[in-house]
Amino acid sequence: MSVVGKDSIQTIAQSIGISNLSDDVAAALAPDVEYRMREIMQEAIKCMRHSKRSVLTTDDVNSALSLRNVEPLYGFASGDPLRYRRALGHADLYYIEDREMDFKEIIDVPFPKAPLDTSVVAHWLAVEGVQPAIPENAPIEPTTVPSGAKKADGQAAARKEEESSVDVKPPVKHVLSRELQLYFEKITEHIVSGSNPGLVRDCLVSLSTDSGLHPLVPYFTQFIAEEVARSLDNFPLLFSLMRVVQSLLLNPHIHIEPYLHQLMPSVITCLVAKRIGGKAFENHWELRDFTASIVAFICKRFGHAYENLQQRVTRTLVHAFLDPKRAMTQHYGAVTGLSVLGLRVVQLLILPNIPPYLQLLAPELSIETQPNEMKRYEAWKVYGALQIAAGKWMYNNLKSQLPEFFSAPIKPSMKAGSKALTTFQESQASVNGISSPLATSPSRKRVAAPDVGNQLPKKKFAVDAAGAGVSSSLASTITESVEGESADLPGRAAEQEADGSKGRLLIRKNNPLSDAWKEDADLGGLFSSVEIVLGSNPVHDFGKVALHPRQSSMRLSGATLSDFREWGGSWGSVPFVFVLLTEIALDLDENHEKFNGPAELWIVAAHKVWER
Amino acid sequence: MEEDQIDKAVLAYLKKKGYRAAELAFQDEQSKVRTVSGNQSTTSSSPIDPTIANQIYFYSRSDNSPGRYKEGFSKLRSWVHSSLDQYKNELLRILYPVFVHSYLELVAKGHSQEARAFFQSFREDHEAIHMRDLQKLEGVLAPQHLEECELARTFRENKIDIKMCQYSFELLLQYLHNTDSMLMLGIVNAHINLQVVPGQPSQLFEEEEAVTLTGKAQDAMELINQKEIRWGVLEDSLEEKLEKELAAEAEKAEAEGKEADAEENKKRAAEGGKPGGTGKKVKKEKTGGGGNKGTKAETTAVAVITRVKPDLPLPVMSEELERQALDDLRNRARLGSSALPSVSFYTFINTHNSLNCVSISADGSLVVGGFSDSSLKVWDMTKIGEVAAPSENGTAGNGTPIKSPGENITPVTAVDNNKTSYTLFKGHAGPVYAASFSPDGEFMLSASGDHTVRLWSLKLNANICCYKGHNYPVWDVQYCPVGHYFASASHDRTARVWSMERMHPLRIMAGHLSDVDCVQWHVNCNYIATGSSDKTVRLWDVQTGECMRIFTGHRGMVLSLAMSPDGRYMASGDEDGAIMMWDLGSGRCVMPLMGHTGCVWTLAFSGEGSLLASGAADSTVRLWDVNASAKFSRSEDKAGAVKRLRLLKTLPTKSTPVYSLRFSRRNLLLAAGAFSPPSSS
Repeated sequence: MSVVGKDSIQTIAQSIGISNLSDDVAAALAPDVEYRMREIMQEAIKCMRHSKRSVLTTDDVNSALSLRNVEPLYGFASGDPLRYRRALGHADLYYIEDREMDFKEIIDVPFPKAPLDTSVVAHWLAVEGVQPAIPENAPIEPTTVPSGAKKADGQAAARKEEESSVDVKPPVKHVLSRELQLYFEKITEHIVSGSNPGLVRDCLVSLSTDSGLHPLVPYFTQFIAEEVARSLDNFPLLFSLMRVVQSLLLNPHIHIEPYLHQLMPSVITCLVAKRIGGKAFENHWELRDFTASIVAFICKRFGHAYENLQQRVTRTLVHAFLDPKRAMTQHYGAVTGLSVLGLRVVQLLILPNIPPYLQLLAPELSIETQPNEMKRYEAWKVYGALQIAAGKWMYNNLKSQLPEFFSAPIKPSMKAGSKALTTFQESQASVNGISSPLATSPSRKRVAAPDVGNQLPKKKFAVDAAGAGVSSSLASTITESVEGESADLPGRAAEQEADGSKGRLLIRKNNPLSDAWKEDADLGGLFSSVEIVLGSNPVHDFGKVALHPRQSSMRLSGATLSDFREWGGSWGSVPFVFVLLTEIALDLDENHEKFNGPAELWIVAAHKVWER
Repeated sequence: MEEDQIDKAVLAYLKKKGYRAAELAFQDEQSKVRTVSGNQSTTSSSPIDPTIANQIYFYSRSDNSPGRYKEGFSKLRSWVHSSLDQYKNELLRILYPVFVHSYLELVAKGHSQEARAFFQSFREDHEAIHMRDLQKLEGVLAPQHLEECELARTFRENKIDIKMCQYSFELLLQYLHNTDSMLMLGIVNAHINLQVVPGQPSQLFEEEEAVTLTGKAQDAMELINQKEIRWGVLEDSLEEKLEKELAAEAEKAEAEGKEADAEENKKRAAEGGKPGGTGKKVKKEKTGGGGNKGTKAETTAVAVITRVKPDLPLPVMSEELERQALDDLRNRARLGSSALPSVSFYTFINTHNSLNCVSISADGSLVVGGFSDSSLKVWDMTKIGEVAAPSENGTAGNGTPIKSPGENITPVTAVDNNKTSYTLFKGHAGPVYAASFSPDGEFMLSASGDHTVRLWSLKLNANICCYKGHNYPVWDVQYCPVGHYFASASHDRTARVWSMERMHPLRIMAGHLSDVDCVQWHVNCNYIATGSSDKTVRLWDVQTGECMRIFTGHRGMVLSLAMSPDGRYMASGDEDGAIMMWDLGSGRCVMPLMGHTGCVWTLAFSGEGSLLASGAADSTVRLWDVNASAKFSRSEDKAGAVKRLRLLKTLPTKSTPVYSLRFSRRNLLLAAGAFSPPSSS
């Protein structure tokens, strides 16, 4: 009848060593045991209440026991849930699992993380009775407006409302508090005037950190769209606006997704607008680069939620890129935008289009065909952007194929300075040898490669006509060899030999790479085409560069700017080399702070040559 | 009357009593008689007195079968349920006490199995209202438990008062007599104090008044509740000083502007009854300052309130503090049903379920947390404010600080994280259950499970005194509104009043039937109120130590109390989430406030008494309109309908039960609680 049965009493008695407890005694004890248990639990509940908790803990039971002058139960204070095990052979007999612990085991265990110390934070739960929508407050459940919403669809609802005579408030039209209005006004004022850079920066910090700005997001998107449309000739303002976009995107408390469709046009405009800024000297390239990074950020962050987001962005950009009627500035924006969207985009959309595009670009680049210096400059810019895109992609491929050359081994080798050569040579070799996983579209390459072979030798930037010829023929061999994988190694060797004495060194170093090479042999086509497009020479000059630092203990002492130029040999190839160098240098920078100096130097050098 | 039955009854009686010889003799004689009677069929047996036979018969039935209780009770129950609707509500009230006493008698007679069966079969009827009592009584199964279980003992030692009208009373008696339910009649006689009220049965079905034992007879209780209480605010209180000051200012202003509008003033003076009021009105015209508008309207309301002299010698407030307080009062935001307060919430994070209590100082600058590891931690919010103000928004509700992107913020928070931002007070040897700041913010008191109250100096950051006197954990402690004195409440069923300079209590308030869970000073310092696990709230005179009022109506332990600033009303919250507003003068409940779904941990009246804020375990702060409730109560007598007090606003927190609420002198509501993520279980 009672909760504690006779059997339980007997079991407990057995467990403490009384084996012959008579039934009568057990029956008499059972109700008393139950009563005591209830009593203790009631006291424990009292303790729980006074500890202002709603979950009973073992501590409460112990407090209750001590209230009754009973020794507390030890061993249950850990707070871990108790694990009950079923006793073998009994359907309803359980016991608490109590493992034997080895002291050594416990001592050897590393210290657990110290629990965070208690602290107090303050926030506004309500301001004059209204709860601000900040993350510290519970989300406000949408107030149900039963008939208010129906109002629109006719008289019936209205009549119903009257009948029920319940005063239902009409749906509230997004009320902005006075404070938020003021905030919005102030921010927009500072952004537009831009007179005080410090204030603008504060505004941006506030936008990127403050919680509770969410109600303002639609107003900000509207503001940005209007301002961008109106003041395309105002470069500083556009830059500020893009910074606002960035701040809004960075703010962790804002749920910006619903407004992305309003923001994107403005952002894309800043990326691929024909003319930005009223004056020529304003560096609108910088704005385009910055905007491109925003586009990349948006695609990265919201791409998974909106599957067609990146698709649409790339389509827009590709259209801008491939339309020959567009201005060079637009092309530049499109290329930059595409290149930041990721290597895959570069691989699929830029690289295949480089050869045909270069046909278009070539006349713009040379001084004979394009007398307007401004236009020529723009064309070079575009050309540089293309090279950056290709270089990045290539570097990354190198990195993914041969990670060991770029991470761990680089440190000791750099320190010692002795192994630098091999590292660089190997990376060099991989530059030469590794190609992209672009086997998916060999046909496209096949189209591209002959084109290049035909066109490039005539171009100024493909100086080494012979090398190009070899490479192009190689390209065709490799593309042919897609079917037969084994054909690639000889081809590779042929290339190396054709490249001359410098290449010989590489062949020897090539062995460890052969595996990787083999796998990617079928993809060789694209690489070689890219190499051709951008000039085959630089790669070998690069080898020189790599050799040189070895002699000077990895200092750039010898590698002066003029050297670079010399090595670069040709206009077009230098930036390409430097993109690679820069990437590698940055990598060093990340891995090893000691190389800060050289890394910076390299970057500076890269820029210098670039600017030329 | 069948002779056989009587014989059987007698036989059973003898058997039970163990009169073996007599039993044998009886049987022997019986058989002899039988044979004789068989022979002489015509002879009639000796005539038996019917009453004696009846008694023998009754004895046998009542004594032998514990099932009689069940039978009797179920009959009574079905009779009550089928009675006329008009009287049903009144009759229903007797069922619970009869049920409890039937059960207890069964236990007392040792029929534990039957008692349990009886309990189980009728338990459901009473679960809705008396759940907690039932849980306590359920375990009582042996006669010795009756002595130990405090609830069972109070039930058996006290009579329960039930009011009913003449006709219901007669119906009941008639039923009990007609059906020979001697058992039930016995219980009603022994344990229920039926009060016959003239007139019609009360129509309104008042929530089935909770049957609450007070340990006092109804008459005595009424007597207690009729004692005179001077619930007015203190003479010379800050409010009064402010009023005087304003009046003086006003007079000055009046004198200045006399020439200009002397006529008008005179007219006003004629209209306004009191000279003070006139002055103020004029003043309002003159200054029209933002802060003064509020105070002016308040002071007119306060003017009605009676003023009382303190019974205790009270400490004098330092002038500086007084000026500060007056300044605060002058700038007090005016609150009402249309002007809700701003609420600043102090969230304790990473408490690991060890935070027991929170207290906030009068100016809101200091916050203390009492922890189950016996420690007290005091945060100075003015300092935290400096450091944390920029990062305030950078901390997410889930308790983990987010690294703010702004570079100028991060180092500050990093520094903040490295060193502790609080002052640690250690000294107790048990969980700290309550803490209270002195009004001047110099001292702090803490009550602990180690049976002591400790006094801490916040200037020295040290323990100054340890007050020993309670024999069990001290659940609550509170400073007197003017300081110096304090009151404590304990598991030992007493509340004690102390002064800071003495080691021993000045007064011991004994009378509660269970733990005293919370204590609250009256604004005029002459009374303290205590809430208890016996479901009552009592008001005690500090000077005499007498019980002045007993408020019954709660259905669970009383966890929180608050006094309105005018000293007239008191609010109390219980573990079921109910809040009751009491009129101290009449001792009656003005208004039950329903809405909370968890224990009401804390209550606070706004500075001028127009709002009541409540914080509960259901992670909400609720704001109630006090003025509306007071009005309702007046109209209620006429309308005869219970109207709920207006709930103005529910402010949900992010899974943070509200431990403490306090209105600052400028009417900013300060709240505190420990963030407890729901996944903890």
